[in-house]
Amino acid sequence: MKIICAVKFVPDVDSVVNIVGTATGDPETIRTGRHPRMILNPDDACSLAFALQVKAGNPGCSVEVVSAGPLSVRPHMEDLLRLPVDRATLISGRFFDEGNSSGRHNSSVTGDLLAGYIADRPYDCLLTGTQTLDGGSASVPVQLAEALGLDQMLGIIRVDPHRFDTRRAVFEVADDTRITTYEMVMPCVLSLTRESGYKLPYVKLTDMRRDVSDDLTVITAEELGFSEGEEGRTGSFTRVMNIYPKTYDEKDRHIVQNDEAGITEVFDFLKAEGFL
Amino acid sequence: MDKNKIIENLSGILTPSQVNTDPEDLYDASADRYKKYAKVRRVLDVPMPAAIVYPKSADEVGKVLSFCNESGLNVIPRAGKTATEGGLENWKENTVVIDALHLNRILNIDTYNMQATVQAGVPLQQLEDELRKNGFTAGHSPQSKPVAKLGGLVATRSIGQFSTLYGGIEDMVVGLECVFPSGHISRIKNVARRSGGPDIRHIAIGNEGALCYITEVTVKIFRFYPENNRFYGYLIRDMETGIQVLREVMVNGFRPSVARAYSEEDAAQHFYHFHKDKCVLLFMAEGPQGIVSATCQAIEDAVEKFKTGVIEQVDGQLIEDWFNNLNWSQKDIDDEMEGMKQNDSHAGFTTEISADWETIPKIYNNVMQRIRSEYPRAHDLTMLGGHSSHSYINGTNMYFVYNYHIHCEPEDEMRVYHHPLQRIIVEETLKLGGSMCHHHGIGKFRNEWTMDEHGSAYYMLEKLKEAFDPNGIMNFGTIYPQKEGEKYQQ
Ligand SMILES: Cc1cc2nc3c(=O)[nH]c(=O)nc-3n(C[C@H](O)[C@H](O)[C@H](O)COP(=O)(O)OP(=O)(O)OC[C@H]3O[C@@H](n4cnc5c(N)ncnc54)[C@H](O)[C@@H]3O)c2cc1C
Repeated sequence: MKIICAVKFVPDVDSVVNIVGTATGDPETIRTGRHPRMILNPDDACSLAFALQVKAGNPGCSVEVVSAGPLSVRPHMEDLLRLPVDRATLISGRFFDEGNSSGRHNSSVTGDLLAGYIADRPYDCLLTGTQTLDGGSASVPVQLAEALGLDQMLGIIRVDPHRFDTRRAVFEVADDTRITTYEMVMPCVLSLTRESGYKLPYVKLTDMRRDVSDDLTVITAEELGFSEGEEGRTGSFTRVMNIYPKTYDEKDRHIVQNDEAGITEVFDFLKAEGFL
Repeated sequence: MDKNKIIENLSGILTPSQVNTDPEDLYDASADRYKKYAKVRRVLDVPMPAAIVYPKSADEVGKVLSFCNESGLNVIPRAGKTATEGGLENWKENTVVIDALHLNRILNIDTYNMQATVQAGVPLQQLEDELRKNGFTAGHSPQSKPVAKLGGLVATRSIGQFSTLYGGIEDMVVGLECVFPSGHISRIKNVARRSGGPDIRHIAIGNEGALCYITEVTVKIFRFYPENNRFYGYLIRDMETGIQVLREVMVNGFRPSVARAYSEEDAAQHFYHFHKDKCVLLFMAEGPQGIVSATCQAIEDAVEKFKTGVIEQVDGQLIEDWFNNLNWSQKDIDDEMEGMKQNDSHAGFTTEISADWETIPKIYNNVMQRIRSEYPRAHDLTMLGGHSSHSYINGTNMYFVYNYHIHCEPEDEMRVYHHPLQRIIVEETLKLGGSMCHHHGIGKFRNEWTMDEHGSAYYMLEKLKEAFDPNGIMNFGTIYPQKEGEKYQQ
């Protein structure tokens, strides 16, 4: 079985910037913040974790990871090779160049780029996350599926490992009121959420020390046949409207002693808040 | 010699009931708290010892040691099992752990000559409880007091929380009995002082089981005056202020039992109820009333002298309450182990160093700067700080504390987190002429720097090993670097 996971690296700072008015993040603004560290988007990490679980139980299975992003995520892609995934490809180029202030990426272009690459790759199933930490409209998986002419499902919280093969996948999707079980014919795009709880293994120390730089494939949008207009800002159907720092409410911190008065105060508080 | 033969021989030298081969106990004996997380997650990468033995006398220790010496078997002396630096970790296939379980008698409490004699397996808490009944104290109070035993405490050159008044264990040991690999038993007599050549107590004190097995110790005891205890606490602007006040008190000739300065980060985890994101300075004075009054005056004068760095005084009762709950019992240790089964986290790690007064702030600042700028997993740190907790007329210690989210396999934790952090601390300390180990010993995981620590005096350390343990059977890899052990380190 061949699984391709489309993943994105996002800033590890939902406290620093959040983007409204669009489905897409703005790397430039994020960069001028507190130089946030990039992490694998949590939903995407779950989908990759599931793929690696399938691979662990099935030696014939191969897992490929593809990401569209700036060259700076290269070390993170290399870490995925150390997990190990069988193949990792980074689609990069001027479009994602963080030094290029006119370069804006957006979900529709990202979806097209990923699809442009994946269309020529062998696969039985595409896995993605549902939402990204820095985006939130869940449009890339949909656009990817549309571009490849595949069925797609968002919000998956569990995949039945015994009914996941080259013919079909059986999985559960949660919404506000219920959990529904679906069966979908392969190939298709399955988008998991972090509620699925699939946990990526850690890179072993011996693998951390392994040089895998030659194993990472880096290709550009031009190599995929995208013209300048398609990959740049004009190729975008969406636009960043506004960016603001996310703030958290200051908690009213109140320390009590471990005595009668303190216990009574905690008790009254819990009661007032409806916990008791 | 194969393991069955070893066990058979040991059972003949002792009795079969004194030889433990229970697999779970052997697994536990493979490593100490240095690898606490890997141990709990059952991923230890070191061999299990062949057996744990429980001798009942110095003679029996001698017989076991000479058997091991003749057969080339590695020996790990063991007491309370609270070691933190790998002193109890096993790096050899054929190892015998000699446990002080049955060396558990308090032999004499002599309140006229102010000394107590105990066997190596007596928990310090037990001795302290006995002394308190008659209004005395051992004056030794490491946080591990409820669990650590006298043999281990002496073997690691441990230090207690009231050390600024009472001193470290080396200031308390009057005499001792120890057994060498040849089986020879040495008794160092108990005298107030002597000038009979070099002070040979110091060959055994701090040997970490790498030279001899300590079977008995005699320590000084002190009158206990709890009714005179006084506590002081202050919020201060920075660590430099704290160190300056500590120094002022010490160089003026006073000995508070506790004198400590905490960084903001460390203060936040200890004094959550009053720290206000500031550094904390605290003192405790104890002893006879006149001495306590004079010490208190000295503390107040020192604080006054550096008042521009002092933000506010806190209620001394808060410091006293905090102190009364500081020690770690066996239950606390077990709870931490249990917690590590469920969570990718633990109570953190420490590295304790020492230097003179002017160097300590430099080391502290260099370490903080280096960790923040060059440690690749700095983003996983949930806490990084330190405190000075043991002061002397010429300097003080720094107890670096750190905790982190564990984002790696349990077997890699020490190599990914603690060891690289410790490396930065040790390198910065040695670079500026400090000591890389103030009180936990070298164990097995700081042995790569033993030569740097001692410089040209390493010659003396090396000769001790050659003289007392010529076959190298005592605690392989502890204190002395070993090529063969590097695979467990790097
Ligand atoms: C929660 C906690 C708090 C701690 N707080 C302090 C503190 O405040 N101050 C401090 O100094 N340390 C502290 N430590 C470290 C530790 O408690 C000390 O190093 C202590 O002295 C070890 O004593 P033990 O009886 O547990 O020895 P063990 O852990 O059994 O052994 C320690 C070392 O001594 C050797 N050894 C043991 N018995 C003998 C013997 N009879 N003859 C020769 N060698 C022997 C061992 O081979 C090993 O190398 C703390 C540890 C913990 C876990």
